[in-house]
Formats: sequence, C-alpha cells, structure tokens
Amino acid sequence: MRSFFAAVIVSGLFCGTAPAQVSFDRLVRAQREPQNWLTYNGNLGSTHHSALDQINAANVANLDLKWVSQAQSLEKFEATPLVVDGVMYISEPPNTVVAIDTRTGRPFWIYEHPMPETTYVCCGNINRGVAILDNTIFLGTLDAHLVAIDASTGRKKWETKVADYTQGYAITVAPLVVKDKVIVGPAGGERGIAGFLAAYDAQTGKEVWRFNTIPHPGEPGNETWPGDSWKTGGGSVWVTGSYDPEANLIYWGIGNPGPDWNPAVRKGANLYADCVVALDGDTGKLKWYYQFTPNDEWDFDSVQVPVLADLSWKGKPRKTMLWGNRNGFFYTLDRTSGQFLQGKAFVKQTWAVGIDEYGKPIKAPGKSPSLGGTDVWPGVQGGTNWYAPSFSPHTGLFYVTAWEDYHTNYFTWEQEYEAGKSYTGGGARGPIPSIRREPFIKWGTEWGYGVVRALNPVTGEKVWDYKMRDVSDAGILTTASDLLFSGNREGYFFVLDAKTGKELWKKYLGSQVAAAPITYTADGVQYVSVAAGHSLFTFGLKAAH
Amino acid sequence: MRFRFSVLLFLPALATLYAQHGSTPDRPFSTPEDEAAGAQSFRSQCAACHGGDATGGVVGPSLATGNFKSGGSDEALFRVITKGIPGTAMTAFPLGGREVWQLIAYLRAVNIGKAAEQAKGDPAKGAQVFNANGCGHCHTIGTAGGFVGPDLSDIGSHRSLAQLESAILDPDADVASDYWSLRARTKTGQTITGIRLNEDMTSFQIREASGRLRSVWKTDLASYDIVRASPMPSFKGKISAGDLENLIAYLASLRAQPNSEVQAK
Repeated sequence: MRSFFAAVIVSGLFCGTAPAQVSFDRLVRAQREPQNWLTYNGNLGSTHHSALDQINAANVANLDLKWVSQAQSLEKFEATPLVVDGVMYISEPPNTVVAIDTRTGRPFWIYEHPMPETTYVCCGNINRGVAILDNTIFLGTLDAHLVAIDASTGRKKWETKVADYTQGYAITVAPLVVKDKVIVGPAGGERGIAGFLAAYDAQTGKEVWRFNTIPHPGEPGNETWPGDSWKTGGGSVWVTGSYDPEANLIYWGIGNPGPDWNPAVRKGANLYADCVVALDGDTGKLKWYYQFTPNDEWDFDSVQVPVLADLSWKGKPRKTMLWGNRNGFFYTLDRTSGQFLQGKAFVKQTWAVGIDEYGKPIKAPGKSPSLGGTDVWPGVQGGTNWYAPSFSPHTGLFYVTAWEDYHTNYFTWEQEYEAGKSYTGGGARGPIPSIRREPFIKWGTEWGYGVVRALNPVTGEKVWDYKMRDVSDAGILTTASDLLFSGNREGYFFVLDAKTGKELWKKYLGSQVAAAPITYTADGVQYVSVAAGHSLFTFGLKAAH
Repeated sequence: MRFRFSVLLFLPALATLYAQHGSTPDRPFSTPEDEAAGAQSFRSQCAACHGGDATGGVVGPSLATGNFKSGGSDEALFRVITKGIPGTAMTAFPLGGREVWQLIAYLRAVNIGKAAEQAKGDPAKGAQVFNANGCGHCHTIGTAGGFVGPDLSDIGSHRSLAQLESAILDPDADVASDYWSLRARTKTGQTITGIRLNEDMTSFQIREASGRLRSVWKTDLASYDIVRASPMPSFKGKISAGDLENLIAYLASLRAQPNSEVQAK
C-alpha cells in the first residue's frame, strides 16, 4: 500500500502543471484583480487604492482580528507584503522572505538570506518588500545583492552582486519589475555612496542597464558636482518607483545629496539627488527629470512613491504625477513631459519663500545648517517621507501622512570621507526621534505632530485632516468603498472615511506601524493586513452568524 | 576582565588572517588538549541545546556544518558565546577567555564537512554518476535541479558518509519530515495530495505537484494519511560499488559556504 502511495505521489510530482504565473501583463492590469496585491504599491501606478468594497462604512465596526504572523527578528517591519492567489510573500527583517497562507497565517516556506557579520546600513536592518514575476520572488539584501527565489519552494534561483556593501551600499527597497527586468538601487545616502538604478534580467540575474543617479564624468549632470564630489554624492534609492506602460516610462524618486548637511563641499544643483527621474522602460535612458530641492541642505530625500493619476486638469484630461515631498511641498507634474503644474506647501515650511513659475524653489535666507544649529521647518524627517500615499479615483483626492508644524535644529561641520562609514557633514537635533524605538510620547506638541491629510491634487489645497498626538511613519490604503486605512507610531491602526476624514474604527496594536496596509481576499472574503512592530496583523469582518 | 580585553583587541587582525581556516597555531588554546577540554565544556554548557555531537538539538541549530548563521570568524564565535544573540534562545555565557577559545577549538574540529574529506571515491566521477542517474530531476544543487527532493547544495555539511550511503541505498529508512506527503480525501470526495509543509490543529499547508501552494482545513476532510515513504527509488544493486563510492564522495564535497567574513575597514 505504501509503495502504491509513493508511486501515485511520484507520478503526480512529475506530471503536474505549473502554478499560477504572474505575467507582467498581470502586473500592468493589477487593478483588475483586487483579490491580490501584486506589487509593492498595489499597482504600477502606485495609487495604493483597491477596488474592493466588502468592508465599508456601515460594517467596518465589525472588523475582527483574523491572524497574526510574528517575525523571527525583533527589528521592526517596514515591509509591505504581496498577495498572489492565496499566498502572501513578505520580507521580514533583516532579509528573510516568508510565504504565508492568507487563510490561516501559517507559513509555507521561509527563505533566509545568509547575512554577513557586519552590515553598513544607516538606519536599521530593515527591508521594504519583494517583487514577483512569473513564479519568482525578487529580494534586495543588506549586503547589496539581488536574489531570485522560487515562489513554490523558497529555494534560491540566482543571486547577483549589485554593489559592494562594505562601501556603504545596501538594498532596502522592494524591487520593481518592468517587463522582463527587475530594477533596484542602493541605499547609503549617509554613507557617501554614488547611487544608481540598475535593471537585471529576471531569468538570469545579468545586469542589463544602469542609470547613475549621481552622474559620472562625461555624463550629463556631472557638471553640477565640483571636482570629485560626485564620488560621494549619495543619490540613494530606497523606496520603490512606478511605471506607466503607455508612456513606457519608469519613474523613481532619488535620495539626498551627500554629505547631507554640508553643501559647501558640493556647490551646484547636485543632479539627480532629490529628483524624480523618468527613464525609458527598455533602456534606462533618462527622458526627463524634475528636481524638488536643488543643492539640498536638509536631507530632503525625494524617495517618496510617485503616484500616477489621470486627472481633469483645467477642463482637459491630463496624465499627472502627484508628489508630497519630504521638503514640505506638494507637487503635481505632467508625467509625460515632466512639466511642473503646481507646487504648494502642504505643511509648515521655512526653508523656501516659494516656488517660481518653472517649479524652482526660492530659498529663504538664513536657513542653512550652521555650526551652532539652525531651526528649520520641516524637520529632518520632512513633511512626509517613505510612507506610501494614496490616490483614490473615487474621491479624486490625494492622501498623505504628514508631519505638521515639525522642525529640527540643523548643524553642519567639516567631515573627511571614510569608506563605508557615516558621511553626513552635520546633524540634526529635536525631541521627536527620527526612528521610533521607545513606547513613550512625552514631547510637547510645539515640536510637531502627525496628520493624515487629504489634498486636492488640482489646487494643492487641504480638504481635511485627521490629527494624531504622535507623528506617523505609516502608509495609506484607500478602497472603492471610500475607506482609508492607516496607522501611526502610537501603535494605532485606524479606518477613516476617505471623503471626510472622520474616524470610523481603530485598534491599538501595541507597537508602531511603519508600513502601509494592504487589502486582498482570502476565500472571497476581504482582508486587510498591516505590520506593526515585528508582527503582521490581518483583519476581516466578523463572520455573519 | 583585562585578559578578555586584550584578547578582543587583537581578534580582528587574527580573524582576517585565519577566518575559516580551522585550528591554527596562532589561535590561543588550540592544542589537542584544548580541543578535548573544549569538548568537555561543550557537553556541560552547550549540548543541552545543540546536541551532544553539536549536530543540533531541541533548541539550537547544528554547529557542525562549518557555517554559522551569526558569523563564523573567531571574532564572531567569541562574541556569540560571550554576548549571546539578542532575540533568540542563545544567551550570553559568562565564561573565561581560555574556556571560550577551547570551545572554538572544539567547534573547528567537529565539522561534518571535514569528516567527509575521508570519502574514498572520486568526487568528479561522482558528479557524472549523479547526472547519469537523473538525480537532478528531483534534487537542486546550487541553482539547478528539481524541487521534489531535498536541496543537496550543501548536503556534505549536514550528513556523514554513512548517512549519505543509507540515503542512496535505502531512501525510506529516514525520510526528513520536510518531505512527508499529505494524501487526503475531502468530504465532497475530492482527493488532495502534496508535500506537507506545515500542519496545525486545524489545517495543513501543502505544495501540490504543480508547485501550487495551498491550505486545507481539517474539518473539510473525510480522511487523510501522512505518507512517510520517499518517492525516491532505492539504488541498491542498481549502481556499482565504485559508482556508489564516487557518488558519496561527490555529495560529501558539497559544503556550506562560510558567511562572508569581511571585517570593518
């Protein structure tokens, strides 16, 4: 009998058909399969909006905990998972990928990337997520490798060295799949790297193209860096970009110039630091760029998620890109040409007196970091940062997690570059921690507070606010039922009415939310998952009895 | 305290020179006597979790593969033993410097992969045997091969020569629970089979033959069996004694690569 079973199994094992394949076409049309969450930002336009509507204002009070998945690591989650046909793929800190059954929260497999004894990453051994194409999961690692993992077995298919981690390069970003390529770039804006975006053949791991986010000599833009300053110019890549299949353009936000707070050693615009770059989807060639903060002095990385929205602009349809920037301004750009359409401060800011008609900021005098310290709004974590915003085609509003009335004291000093070590040329001081660790909230609100802010993308005007006591590093999810899901450092996970900002439901999860919620279905029932602390919580409606 | 400090001070240089080279004359307390003392310390301090022969126990992983998750340099081993690994069951052991070095000497000696160097056969010829018998249809080595059977990329660091021989000649003798199968019939008459990846009170998580991952609620099942037989055929009498020796030598040569050991510059 036993041999019979074995024979049945063997024949089955050899004759099976391939599992569901996630073609690039499925990624392009991700919004048509809201039962899944196929990319870091839910779709290639990065709207963080879902067509699901089972959970709505009338029943949201019945949200109930379905399951919790606790990571092996005590480092906090900044990852957003993927969900593909009943299987969730999430990266736990530092570089562990787990395939989880969405019905039960139980693991199918765990891939652990072997870590070097020392990592050189700036701000925690974290990872923001993975990408999928066909039956392969892609993971960037803290030792700056790109790893392809079989989605069925958790076994490694290939591994490619992207950069030398001992020189301060690390990968924390969730890769972006465009056609048959996987795109990643390195973090290390505080380590004196010279950044880039690179595309790898999804089948082989072979590098196909590389775009230097800090141009090398002979490349356009290098003239914005005096002498050899480009070599340590930063331009890191640590939040996932977007892709417009019609324009065949990849959009990506680029990090701060290095050293962060000492612009004296890099006089010039410092391209393409603090830019959004639009690259050809096949070749990686630069099509256009827009620089939010030329010659940045305050660490205003422009690593935010490029949100692609088709708007009615002054009576005509327009393909736009919406951008709440770390520098405190909210921008609407034409994503086909890069043309500046509007820019307006969305939080208190004092570093610029405004933006001119071409979209160039006019710096305010006396706001440069100094040896004795200079107070500037927004503070060092910015008006917003890596937290995924959302655009709802239902409400027509752009939603962003913002730090309001927030400032820090910025310092500058001379610093020699040493490979792999911190290279910031200054610092910042304020009572609100940049990366939250301890559970107490004790500082006065005069130092700043968090809001979920709804903005009109055409006028740039605020529509409503949801005010919090603490600041927030949580991303935002909106759904077709006009709900908004987010969280905060206080440890709350909450649901708002996306039209009015009215709080409909909240739950204390016991540790900070530093990632974006996602939604999908399991057995046809809508679930919402969100990471808090080192656990991933999944909620759904209480079953009707 | 002063002693430990001085040891730590010269560790980086030493570790750079001798990382993963096993016992060296320049590592303090690495004589055969120290190794024996280390074995004794291991049994008293470590074996409860890591097993009497360091191949893994009820709590701790195998320390006999030559690959250490938290770093395999002398410096890293010293740090892990004396400071522990935060967030794990590995606590700090407040041992003297001499005892720690003796433990490291023992860990260097207890490597299964080193024992596998005693294999009589020819690994290169064994690789040909592996290919000629289609082993790669089911087994992964490196990034090539099938997923039905275990990944053999570093099997030489996990299995002794005798265990390798047994696995080839009598695959059913010891099938790892990672490869047990679920064979179930649902209450609606459907048959479900697949590799059992996980099982709790209420559900199974399985990988079907197609590679599809799915779960099954136990309440939906009319009956089920966990099949422990290996789908692998026995090669007893099917390959020559010479081929068997070569195949074992090849498998024993497949070792875990040490973690990258670059020191801070």
